Amino acid sequence: MRRDTGWWLLIAPAFLLLTLVYIAPIAQVLAISVMEPSPGLGNYERLFTSESVQRVIVTTLRICIITTAIALLLGYGLAYVIALATERARRWWLLAVLVPLWISVLVRAFAWVTLLRRQGVINEGLIAAGVITEPLALVWNETGIVIGMVHYMVPYAVLPMLAAMREVDPRLLAAARGMGASRGFAFSRVFLPLSMPGVIAAGVLVFIFSLGFYITPALLGGGRTLMVAEWIKLQILDLLRWGLGAMMATVLVLAILATLVVFSRLVNLRRLFGGGA
Amino acid sequence: MMQTFQQDCMELAMRKFREGKVDRRALLAGLVGLGVLPAGSDAAAQAAQEMVMVNWGGVANQGFGTNYGAPFMAANPGWKVVQDSTGPSAGRIRSMVESGRTTWDLCDSSASSAILLGKAGLLNKIDYSVVQKSDVISPAFAMEHGAAPYSFSSVLIYDTAKFPNGGPQNWADFYDVQKFPGTRLLRRDALAVLDGAQMALGKSPAALYPLDVPACLAKLREIRRNCVFWTNGSESEQFMRTGEAVMGQIWHTRATILERETSGRLKFIWNQGLLQGGIFVSPRGNPGGAMVQKLLASMLANPEPQVELLKFLGNGPTNPRAAAVVPEEFKRFNPTDPANVAVQCTLDGTWWGENYAELNSKVLDVITG
Repeated sequence: MRRDTGWWLLIAPAFLLLTLVYIAPIAQVLAISVMEPSPGLGNYERLFTSESVQRVIVTTLRICIITTAIALLLGYGLAYVIALATERARRWWLLAVLVPLWISVLVRAFAWVTLLRRQGVINEGLIAAGVITEPLALVWNETGIVIGMVHYMVPYAVLPMLAAMREVDPRLLAAARGMGASRGFAFSRVFLPLSMPGVIAAGVLVFIFSLGFYITPALLGGGRTLMVAEWIKLQILDLLRWGLGAMMATVLVLAILATLVVFSRLVNLRRLFGGGA
Repeated sequence: MMQTFQQDCMELAMRKFREGKVDRRALLAGLVGLGVLPAGSDAAAQAAQEMVMVNWGGVANQGFGTNYGAPFMAANPGWKVVQDSTGPSAGRIRSMVESGRTTWDLCDSSASSAILLGKAGLLNKIDYSVVQKSDVISPAFAMEHGAAPYSFSSVLIYDTAKFPNGGPQNWADFYDVQKFPGTRLLRRDALAVLDGAQMALGKSPAALYPLDVPACLAKLREIRRNCVFWTNGSESEQFMRTGEAVMGQIWHTRATILERETSGRLKFIWNQGLLQGGIFVSPRGNPGGAMVQKLLASMLANPEPQVELLKFLGNGPTNPRAAAVVPEEFKRFNPTDPANVAVQCTLDGTWWGENYAELNSKVLDVITG
């Protein structure tokens, strides 16, 4: 332990910089939340008394949970295929997963609008095929938001799960099969439990990311669905209720930290963020 | 614009000053000699000062520069007005003033923000000995902490193709989903939306304020499932253009573009439109000091640039002498044309300033509930 102390000096500059430009402003935000409009916990009281504050939180949680679940499901399938693919195919798969990451979230939201709107490709196609007579409400609601967010989140779900799956020794599956397990049984009793740390890590990552989503809900929600990030922006930039906005920002930060603390007990978070196991 | 000889001399003098070939005293003496600066006045101490006008970006940057900045600079040599398109939201103005380093002089804001920020002591009062109240057509455009060099209106636009037997003619029709089925488009905001609801409830536009808030909110609740909501102008245009909504309450500037573009298939009406001032405010501690009052005065006093802005951006003039010089083909689209003013309702910025923050939260609750 004694030998480690010297290393701390090496990260001191970075630590100081972070404190100055990151932690100090966050502390200021925290301070505003208890100082405005009058000193005290009045803003936090609203968490329990104000229906609109509660609604924003419930809406955000609901959308984030649904998004996380769908992204994990799709991501798991994708990661599974990639993990079992040949080296050459795997590279192409990975490229296909990563390319969307580099496309601006704004562009992607607009692309979804083009596909999902009343006179969009999907509705026009379905009407032409005679499947439906009235356009489906695919966008300007929570459905649209979830579609847009899942699209954004799938790569973040795939990568940690893929890392976990590649650590599973394929011989274990062969051994299970050799001992008479069916494919399904080998998967559900051997592969799935072994890949579970990756699933939890991906879930935490996607969920935390989703909590702060701003552009996608703003563009695909049709103004009817308000998530936390947009709500904070509204309070601070337009309504000048800085205390209330800062309170929600603080709650968001605390929620993220709490999620991390809870799950750090279940899974090795260092691996999630790229550190050695 | 051709550069005058005098401007060229000034430019040369300034260059020598910057290169350190002449000192400040010699420069000022030279400028006084050119007649650019009056001798002995304290204006000499503020040579080539700059004022920053802040807009919301897009073509406004160009429009405001040409029609607000340039006329003032021509009349006040030694002053420069530059445009900044950061988007002066109330929150940004507040954080700037409270940080103690105000870099903006004049901001394109709103009536409600003028009151919110004014009450918090973050704005300069308008000096009505410099700015002339007689330069605007309505007292709503000359507020304590802001004045409007342009106007706009929240109007009813509808898709004529969807209503072959005649479209909605007022907010009562707008709220009648039986008679006029289809998705509505509203701004996700209390302002103008509740005013429309109040008119739909049958209150006379002439005596609209104070709004009966619970009734208006209940009215909005009736149609919220039939609505989509916009938050910025381009979005409102897109919702109407792509047929997501069959009618909407949008800004007249966007409605004008849509009506022209579709040759009248999308048509807007002035009836019961909510006329509002494009209120400019000046953050406290602005670098240009009291000169900003003169800038605002010049923006209000010159009808010709206001008409140019109408042609360019669609913003309505507020100067009483402007309507007469608007070319015939633009009268249809001018919110302050006497014929259009007569059928609209002027939004009460003072009432809204007092109630905006609270009502906006309530409207959000109705919309997202």
